[in-house]
Amino acid sequence: MPEFTSRRGLLFGTAAVGAGALIAGCTSNESKDEPAANDQPAADDKPGKQVTIGFAGPQADHGWLNAINDNAKSRAKKYSDVTLEITEGSNDTAQQIGQIETLINKKVDVLVILPADGKALTQVGLKAMRAGIPVINLDRIFNTPQAYRCWIGGDNYGMGLNAGHYIGEKLKGKSDAKVIELAGLDNLELTKQRTQGFDDALKNYPNIKKVARQAAEFTVESGQNKMAQLLQAQSKFDALWNHDDDQGVGALRAIEQAGRDDFLMVGGAGALAAFQAIKKDDGVLKATVLYPPTMAASAIDLARALGQSKGVGGMAEFEIPASITLYSAVVDKDNVDQYMSTGFK
Amino acid sequence: MAPEPPLLSMNGITKSFPGVRALDGVDLDVQAGEVHCLLGQNGAGKSTLIKVLAGAHQPDTGTIRWRGEEVTLRSPIAAMRLGIATIYQELDLVEHLSVAENVHLGHEPTTAGFIVRGRTARASAAQLLKRLGHPEIDPGRLVGDLSAAQQQIVSMARALSHDVRLIVMDEPSAALDPDEVDNLFRIVGDLTAEGVAVVYISHRLEEIRRIGDRVTVLKDGRAVAGGLPAKSTPTRDVVAMMTGRNVEYVFPERPVRDAAGDPLLEVRGLARDGEFEPLDLVVRPGEIVGLAGLVGSGRSEILETVYGARRPSAGQVLVDGRPLRPGSVRAAVRAGLGLAPEERKAQALLMLESVTRNVSVSSMSRFARVGWIDRAAERGAARAATRELSLRPDNPSVPVRTLSGGNQQKAVLARWLLRGCRVLLLDEPTRGVDVGARAELYAVVRRLADEGLGVLLVSSEVPEVLGLADRVLVLREGRVVHTAPATELDEHRVLDLVMEGSPAS
Amino acid sequence: MTQHASPPRDSTDKVPPSGAAPAWRGLMAHADVRTLSLLGVLAALIVIGGITKPDEFLDTRNLQLVLTQASVIGVVTVGMTFVIISGGIDLSVGAIVALASVWATTVATQEYGFAGILFTAVIVGVGCGLVNGVLIAYGAMVPFIATLAMLASARGLSLQITDGKTQIVTIPSVLDLGERDAYVLGVPPLVMVFAVVTIIGWLVLNRTTFGRRTVAVGGNPEAARLAGIDVRRQRLYLYLLSGLCCGIAAFLLIILSGSGQNTNGNLYELDAIAAAIIGGTLLTGGRGTIVGSVLGVLIFTTITNIFALNNLQSDVQQIAKGAIIVAAVLVQRRTASTT
Repeated sequence: MPEFTSRRGLLFGTAAVGAGALIAGCTSNESKDEPAANDQPAADDKPGKQVTIGFAGPQADHGWLNAINDNAKSRAKKYSDVTLEITEGSNDTAQQIGQIETLINKKVDVLVILPADGKALTQVGLKAMRAGIPVINLDRIFNTPQAYRCWIGGDNYGMGLNAGHYIGEKLKGKSDAKVIELAGLDNLELTKQRTQGFDDALKNYPNIKKVARQAAEFTVESGQNKMAQLLQAQSKFDALWNHDDDQGVGALRAIEQAGRDDFLMVGGAGALAAFQAIKKDDGVLKATVLYPPTMAASAIDLARALGQSKGVGGMAEFEIPASITLYSAVVDKDNVDQYMSTGFK
Repeated sequence: MAPEPPLLSMNGITKSFPGVRALDGVDLDVQAGEVHCLLGQNGAGKSTLIKVLAGAHQPDTGTIRWRGEEVTLRSPIAAMRLGIATIYQELDLVEHLSVAENVHLGHEPTTAGFIVRGRTARASAAQLLKRLGHPEIDPGRLVGDLSAAQQQIVSMARALSHDVRLIVMDEPSAALDPDEVDNLFRIVGDLTAEGVAVVYISHRLEEIRRIGDRVTVLKDGRAVAGGLPAKSTPTRDVVAMMTGRNVEYVFPERPVRDAAGDPLLEVRGLARDGEFEPLDLVVRPGEIVGLAGLVGSGRSEILETVYGARRPSAGQVLVDGRPLRPGSVRAAVRAGLGLAPEERKAQALLMLESVTRNVSVSSMSRFARVGWIDRAAERGAARAATRELSLRPDNPSVPVRTLSGGNQQKAVLARWLLRGCRVLLLDEPTRGVDVGARAELYAVVRRLADEGLGVLLVSSEVPEVLGLADRVLVLREGRVVHTAPATELDEHRVLDLVMEGSPAS
Repeated sequence: MTQHASPPRDSTDKVPPSGAAPAWRGLMAHADVRTLSLLGVLAALIVIGGITKPDEFLDTRNLQLVLTQASVIGVVTVGMTFVIISGGIDLSVGAIVALASVWATTVATQEYGFAGILFTAVIVGVGCGLVNGVLIAYGAMVPFIATLAMLASARGLSLQITDGKTQIVTIPSVLDLGERDAYVLGVPPLVMVFAVVTIIGWLVLNRTTFGRRTVAVGGNPEAARLAGIDVRRQRLYLYLLSGLCCGIAAFLLIILSGSGQNTNGNLYELDAIAAAIIGGTLLTGGRGTIVGSVLGVLIFTTITNIFALNNLQSDVQQIAKGAIIVAAVLVQRRTASTT
């Protein structure tokens, strides 16, 4: 991994992400499609057996989560053979369990679950599996693989890693380069993973030193506050990695208020506003590392394939994989147009 | 009898709170196996005394001997260990726990020190309840579901669950109907037969006569009589000790002429269901009208209803002939009424605030322009009002809680004086006021009346009503039983009236 | 929540019935001690900041930063202090700030420009306060419950308005107020608003009938009622006032963050209550000072600043914050029991 250049990373990202590229994207491209290596046809756009998919996610109180819901809904709408049973989003574990149990009782064909808390919802995932309803576990992972048929999610460690490599390449040759990190909510494991990946990547660049890290709370307000403090603490630095584009709105505001433009900033997640700023290229924000909400669309594709007992196009196996980790691509000025449509508000 | 020391002997107990001396050298002897009755008006010091006995208050001075040995009751637990249990009027039960759990609260029967043996607890609770004549109370029920009388039984069972030698019962009969009172007395009889002493507090003299052995009468924090024989002391004497004066007060002279003029305050058929029956009264300028009655006669309720703090179920209050909006304090205050309530600290004073602010609170807007207070004017006016009443210290910026009871009362009066109030409603104006300071307060009240105010006075101290008021309405159980000029009444006559129907001797 | 002034037998047992003068002097001393001790804590923090990060901490820009960051929560705390002094509590402040900030930054509102945003923020704040006040004063609901309900509904409504999206403000006149160019003699406009709100709050509490009634209602609601104060109307006004402060704070937050988001004002209720309490406001009502509350806010903000400058992480910051609240309340109880 260390020898990844940013360009290769980008290529990987392109291949892996794009609107559910790995699964549906390839299969939709029928003319070029190789026949599946098994007798079972891979899932494709052609209407097949009717599938009812139950979807349970947390409350969409954040741009990324909102994009997850949108992706799931619009993807499901595309298929005439898919009925989506979507629950009211909830951050309350007990309530979400109740909602999923209702879906189990309704005997949906496949469940897609983005748990409010992966550990706490493991039991209900097991229950669904035992009831014969395959579960697609989205992003926040259950405690045991027995609780899901397939896990699909982002790569938090990879996000940090790719952000670190991007910054490392940009600052190559600069001696005594300083970087700072504006992390997300410290209570969450994913924040630790992102930071770990970032730190591991920076180890490859002895000329770079991380001089400060503060944790915001994924909110604009906290982003502004913590960034303002970081700017005051560090009068001179070369690069900033911000874990989340939502709090990045606040961070950019703080940077603007402090009148600073002497460093480059890399964001995280892939918000539309960030893409637009990168495209415009008139500020410090030069790139953002994806944590693609399109994974929800892919999850719907996987669920449909499961429901129709098909495999995944482009793969030799009869069955869909047990787990799919999405690639955290770096989006910068060069490739931003490609991603613009996936940016969330 | 052998010269065995009394079970309990309290000597020279004093206890002061800021502004008031609640107990002033009280002695109390209790023998094993006797029912010792404690009598006194509200505020006489009974509650403080039993709290000292229960270990809830520490006396400032005085000694407590238990079976002849001097003891210090540092906490309720210490008292309980000696065998002193107290059943307060406001029962201290946990409503959401069961009867058995309440009975054993704090000393649950346990296995290995922490596992509560529920069955044992229920069985022993059931046994205690049976002994108290109430086997029908299920130990498993929640206390909150029981009637008041049943709760009291539970409270008593809790007391008996300890090895108790002395039980203090604070007005145990207040919430009971006659049958239940009979049962209570039977229990008291059983207990004393076992050698347990009972300190029994009640306002009902007939009860004391039925079960009491000896009586101690408290008044103004002093024991005015100790260890009187309960059965043979004439009721009138006991009541006279409770309500009378051990010091002769100089009451201000009444004006020569009778108050004339149109009524300032007129009460027409005012009533509150369950509290007092339709009442008519008139207060004219310069007149002090007194309401005399024992606790439970509805005196305070009448005053608060006139003031609009309680909503009447019938009748009207008129000031200057104009009816007040019923149940509105603000309407009453605007019309010129002012109340000096019975519980001064809880109902009248802002204890954290200065005298000035306490005095000006009802007339702030007078010193304010668009809400902005002219503090110099406010201070000046408050000072003038407090000076007029000779409030001490002569510095209205001190916090009101540092004042003595009498001066706190003056602060309340100054509030209404400043407001320009026309009719003062005084509820127990000398409650908690040191004996020495009372004459001064009487003079103040009379002077205010002479200046043209009307005063409606409520007091449980008969001499106070007779000495201060011009006209007296005698109340008994929410009903006016007699109205007469104060000069035509004497203490004995009033006592006969307020106790009418009780077994006088 | 009716509270009677605690009767002396429960609270002041140990006080001898001494003459009035010493006790009064004692109170004066304690009132001063309270404020002085807060100033002392602040001074100690400044020393710590100055020693650990002399260049970054003792810097005009840092002073501007700390005061700016204190402004939003500071304005909320002023309103909260009034409510707590009156014996109430307002748990909905954070949610009201969120609702006001998102309502004021919708595309539709932004069409009306600066005035539209300001007006909407204030009206939404006052409106929420009105609902709180009516429920508490005339619906006889416990403040804790009524404002808890408002917290839930206002958060829900702001989520519904934003759909979880961040609403970027595009009105230059609003954004400019958060820029350095708008500073007057080095004072950021946000800090000016905070100062004005503080001064007005102090004057209202100490110099007006409104302030007196607030203290009376909190100190002894029964006595206030029997003294002829309209307790219910006063309570209504107090929650209106708190809502107004939230509306102003929401506007400041819009300027500061250049956006409206439903997550705004997260846990403001706890921060404001904590600041008021360490400032010496009694949770049971009847006593409190604006100066103390503002010092409380400044202490918290300064701690955050020092910790951030020293690159200490949020876990340590939270522990320190908790320790300070406990210490302040212990000191407060000691002073309360000795007066």
